[in-house]
Amino acid sequence: MMFERALNAFWILLGAATAAYAWSLGIVGPSGPDSGLFPLIAAIIIMAAGLILLLRPNPLVASQFPRGAALGRILGVIAGLAVMAIGMPYLGFAVTGAITMMILLRTVERTSLSGSIALALASVAAVVWLFDHMLGMVLPRGPWGF
Amino acid sequence: MHELEGLMAGFGVILTAQNLYLCFLGSLIGTLVGVLPGVGPLAALALLLPVTFTLSPVGGMVMLASIFYGAMYGGSTTSILLNIPGEAASVVTCIDGHQMARQGRAGAALGIAAIGSFIAGTLGVIVMTFFAPLIAAAAIRFGPPENFALMVLGLVCTLFMISGSTVKGVLMVALGFLTAAVGIDVVNGHERFTFGSVNLSGGIELLAVVIGLFGVTEVLANVEEMVQSTVLAERIRGLWPTLADWRDSWRAMLRGSGLGFVLGLVPGGGPVTASFMSYAVERRISAHPERFGKGAIEGVAGPEAANNAAVAGSLIPVLSLGIPSNPVTALLLGALVIQGIQPGPLFVAQRPDLFWGIVASMYVGNVFLLMLNLPLVGLWAQLLRIPYRVLFPIVLLLSIVGTYSANKNVFDLWVMLGFGIAGYVLRKLDYDLAPFVIAFVLAPLLEQSLRQSLAMSPDGAVILIQRPVAALLLAVSAAIVVLMFRRTARIPGGDQ
Repeated sequence: MMFERALNAFWILLGAATAAYAWSLGIVGPSGPDSGLFPLIAAIIIMAAGLILLLRPNPLVASQFPRGAALGRILGVIAGLAVMAIGMPYLGFAVTGAITMMILLRTVERTSLSGSIALALASVAAVVWLFDHMLGMVLPRGPWGF
Repeated sequence: MHELEGLMAGFGVILTAQNLYLCFLGSLIGTLVGVLPGVGPLAALALLLPVTFTLSPVGGMVMLASIFYGAMYGGSTTSILLNIPGEAASVVTCIDGHQMARQGRAGAALGIAAIGSFIAGTLGVIVMTFFAPLIAAAAIRFGPPENFALMVLGLVCTLFMISGSTVKGVLMVALGFLTAAVGIDVVNGHERFTFGSVNLSGGIELLAVVIGLFGVTEVLANVEEMVQSTVLAERIRGLWPTLADWRDSWRAMLRGSGLGFVLGLVPGGGPVTASFMSYAVERRISAHPERFGKGAIEGVAGPEAANNAAVAGSLIPVLSLGIPSNPVTALLLGALVIQGIQPGPLFVAQRPDLFWGIVASMYVGNVFLLMLNLPLVGLWAQLLRIPYRVLFPIVLLLSIVGTYSANKNVFDLWVMLGFGIAGYVLRKLDYDLAPFVIAFVLAPLLEQSLRQSLAMSPDGAVILIQRPVAALLLAVSAAIVVLMFRRTARIPGGDQ
């Protein structure tokens, strides 16, 4: 409930900031509507909706955010994707993909080390073969050429 | 009969080795996506969209469309054998389909689902063949005010049909508009919301948004609850329904086909709504409603027919008007725009090869799907034994490849991750993500139409009510908004 209230307040702030920025872009120019008109309309809607949600909270929505092991699994997935985004330009898709797969399999499902390595290598090899070789979509390569 | 000539020309386009192969491949991938829980058709389309960049527009669209309707076929297999929907439109099939499987009638349930899907899919395409060109011909005289009003109506209908809070739906539409505004204003070249970033000057990538919201979010939701399931039916027998099964289900199939097609046409409708509505109708009109939930075959035949007919229905507004009715058709619209093609009233006249090629491919695709889903059902059942813990890292790898391939830009991976986390949090708080995607895709056209309308009239926004068609469409939109507010006011506790 507290989190939802904070989010509703955030919508109002986001709408206000966007409206101010849209105003600076110009609403109506010499040749008609300007760049800021459409974002201004969107910003006003966001602000108004945020205000309504803040003033009339929905008592039926009791969101259950994950805790414990479930939260760990979710953070593991997020960490895996972040590792991929950080490492891919430097290490290439294949190596980063294998590392990410192992992180996911070890942290999210606690697969055995040998099982994780085998599955990670097989999956990455299959994806690289399919997309890079069969479909001609060049994936980033590391300094070692793959 | 221009439609029949067009359809024949469409078969001429589709009946080539490459296009038939792509149609078959799309049907196969669609079935696979439908069968595997946690991988929806939208995520699959987004992942495979970059692959279509190297194909001809006809080949690419044929493959993407066949993934969409293929997923509707495959989803029922998982619902019946595992009691977990393979994709959202097969949720209701779990109720009676899985009960039939528990009673040893998995074969009959799978058979009637596949046959019902085939009949409804084919009927839907037949109506689409004659209906879509009529709508396009009627809309060909639309100018910017009419286009604007039409898109407003589409968005209002989407908000009317969504589950949960209308206010949250409106907020998601506005956020979709705002996200789409990032980048360079095509009218005057001004940068908007880029904050000096080169990565943002090209705008937010559609694929990163869709894969984040529907691929990563789905994975996050699934890993939160790693449910262990057991597959029923070691050996599936008796796929061909008995005479009694036919007697019980043929009316449900026809009703589901009609209902699904109509609900597919309505923005915000589509396969998910159609399947739920069909189940509700079948239970309401049944002489023995107590059988529902205990293995009634009508509870499988109706919804499965409805979700397949809805696919054909939902392709009509996007191909003939350029208005997507759900996130999947929004992505198909995006795919066409990426190929340099703008769907709309002129689409049928300007690209008959593409339009009729897609229509003809749906006839062929439905036959492929019947072949894939009846004789090969045992194979799909075996695939269900792949545990999700093995599946989800592969889905994430494919998400990364799909997102990266669009622009070869690592920044898009961060966008995907950001939208994935945001989508997960918003879903937890009961926000529907569909209006966001539809608004995001429609925003550039909507803004352009609004600005052109205002620029072409000395009276400003009055032009929107001076033009009869635009005024009528906006009046209908206003009436729907009033209905939404009345519905909201009737519910205790406010906007739910």
